[in-house]
Amino acid sequence: MKKLGGIVSSLLCLAGLGGLVTPAQVSQPQFQWFQAGSGVELSRELTFANASGRLGILNADGPVNTKGHPFFEPLGVNGRACVTCHQPSNAMSLAVDTIRERWRATNGKDPLFAGIDGSDNPSLPQDLETSHSLLLNRGLFRVGLPWPPAQNSTPEFTLEVVGDPTGVNRDPVWGLKSAKPTVSVFRRPRPAANLKYVLAPDNGPFNVKLGVLLDKDPATGKPVSMNMMADARATTLATQAESAYRDHQEGKGQLRSDQVDRIIAFESQVYAAQVFDNGAKDLVEAGGPGGLGPLNLLREAAGVLNTPAKPVFLTFDAWKASTEFRRSVARGNELFLNRTFWVKDVAHINSIGLGNPAKRACAVCHNAVMSGMDRAPGWVDLGTTNYPTWTEPKTWNEAGELPVFKLSCRADARPHPYLGRVIYTSDPGRALVTGKCADIGAITMGQFRGLAARAPYFANGSARNLRELVDYYDRRFDMRLTTQEKEDLINFLGVL
Amino acid sequence: MSRVRGLLFVLLFGAAQFNAQNLSFVTCPIVRDTKTVPCWLAEYKGETYYLGNQGGVAQDFYPPQLNHEVLVEGVVAEGPRVCGGIPLRTVKTSVFLEINRACNTILPAEDAIEAPQSPPRPPIGDAASWVRSDGPADSTLYFDFDNDFLSLHTATTVQRLAQYFQQSKASEIRIAAFRGSSKLSNGDVLTEQRDIAAARAAKVRDILVGLGVPSTALKVQVVTDVRTPDGINDPWGRKVTLSVKP
Repeated sequence: MKKLGGIVSSLLCLAGLGGLVTPAQVSQPQFQWFQAGSGVELSRELTFANASGRLGILNADGPVNTKGHPFFEPLGVNGRACVTCHQPSNAMSLAVDTIRERWRATNGKDPLFAGIDGSDNPSLPQDLETSHSLLLNRGLFRVGLPWPPAQNSTPEFTLEVVGDPTGVNRDPVWGLKSAKPTVSVFRRPRPAANLKYVLAPDNGPFNVKLGVLLDKDPATGKPVSMNMMADARATTLATQAESAYRDHQEGKGQLRSDQVDRIIAFESQVYAAQVFDNGAKDLVEAGGPGGLGPLNLLREAAGVLNTPAKPVFLTFDAWKASTEFRRSVARGNELFLNRTFWVKDVAHINSIGLGNPAKRACAVCHNAVMSGMDRAPGWVDLGTTNYPTWTEPKTWNEAGELPVFKLSCRADARPHPYLGRVIYTSDPGRALVTGKCADIGAITMGQFRGLAARAPYFANGSARNLRELVDYYDRRFDMRLTTQEKEDLINFLGVL
Repeated sequence: MSRVRGLLFVLLFGAAQFNAQNLSFVTCPIVRDTKTVPCWLAEYKGETYYLGNQGGVAQDFYPPQLNHEVLVEGVVAEGPRVCGGIPLRTVKTSVFLEINRACNTILPAEDAIEAPQSPPRPPIGDAASWVRSDGPADSTLYFDFDNDFLSLHTATTVQRLAQYFQQSKASEIRIAAFRGSSKLSNGDVLTEQRDIAAARAAKVRDILVGLGVPSTALKVQVVTDVRTPDGINDPWGRKVTLSVKP
């Protein structure tokens, strides 16, 4: 077995510093792309270069022998493994630059581009680059969901395909009117790291936003966070692994229980965060901000709510009198915590008793310490997928990239609180699971860690970089951020 | 002459307002920015009323929503104006489901207008607008008009009763769900939709079962008859009562 990254382990042992080793002391592994089934051993600590600096990966349980490991070995029929779309170099997600490089290196033959969901439409000729445009341009995989939803055979709305640039939703084999009626939307893969924060349920048994009980883990009967997937359709690592095996790897039958256990064990111990930034330099040096780097993600407790005593990403006080870039990051953190603006027309935020609008700061919704997610179930209709605030501001004579659906709510259903009863959307989000009008366009917010390693952003990959992400919020909520404030927020997000 | 008539009108209207301490009306809510937290207002017959401050889900007062009309039910409070409006106490605001885009007024902050200090958060499960408990075995949950949403306070109360049921080894929980109506100050009457009581009962029942109370121990009564509204006690008719029996 190759032992790439072994130098890292040696350095750690020699220094006797464990996780306190600075990135300057850590060698990078010899791969950016982890080939499924390659058997490469992963060291306890790894760093990977990216455009902003370097990402750190921490395997808290020690080096990982990937040979025969179900996270790293292809289990289905298309040659993919979990790691194919959850790459260590990309914070256990997948950056669009990596995807493009993979196309170039393999002429599109890598299993990553499997027709089932790595193309715009499985019926298209798969050897053409244009057939994989959403993956290559926006890092989007096709997610085909049954219609009507498996959870609700009598949804509150009808669904009509009014724009289908990929052709998949009208496809006779894969579409809405096929023998197995399916709605296809396109979404980014989420980081399979720092999951103790993603999976920590809110205090108590309730989804306080809806006034109902949280879903329960079928294996333990305990409440789950419902924050793992964009539409919360799978709520435990076990159910997610099973569905990924079936849907993404085209596996037959079920995973063996020992395979599921090993996948969960790996995912539960891997942490990812930026460790070096070209502007801020070493992010994990002694005396620096306590929330940065993967080791701090390991140390901190999950399920903690933002408070003045324990802000979301802890304090950046150490950088308030440092270099200009570090001061900018500290200012960005202050903006994130305290800069209020009118949060308006966001279903499952404004509609849960907070009032519409609510004058709040980013951290009120992104309130979970260390992750920046919502401690309560975090699917909200931010507006990225629903007209008129969607991220696809095309005009009548421009071809869009994403499908457009027209959803019409029944007269006896509770309407979407801010869009009413007829809604145009490129992704109905949670509503494709629940069948509820109030959930149309609601997407679970994602974690903030390792952002620099995994552009583009938003579930629909519409923000190519952090500037476009900040610009969307600025437009959406009329925040009137100054150029300096935008820069500070971007610098802040980039070091996480 | 017209000045005298006008004075007479003011006196009469003023006197009527003095006597009619309870107010109930449907209007577009208004949010006013301040140097601290926004406050929520509503206009009725040319007067502005203060409803409450922006808060969190643990507060007693849940603010209304722009883009929606709101049913305001409250009692005119004595004392100075608050945030530019006459304060209403024990105020209930029920957001109407359908969208009304005319409800879009955000007033800017003014130097002379400040939001009052927000009241302290009540203990969870003990907010007067949402819950009344009569001992550990009996509670009443209150709901917004035409709504089956359980607030943090009402949901927590259901959880507390489920725990009491289990700890006391009780045999039964009786659930009675009601729908209500509201007599507006202009004489109109609003009545909740017919199936809302059943929806409230189902929500509470599902929570109790999910918390481990056997479904066989639940005795559910759905009351669809509506009590005659009086414009005073109407918010307390939209309710579910829970009673744990030995």
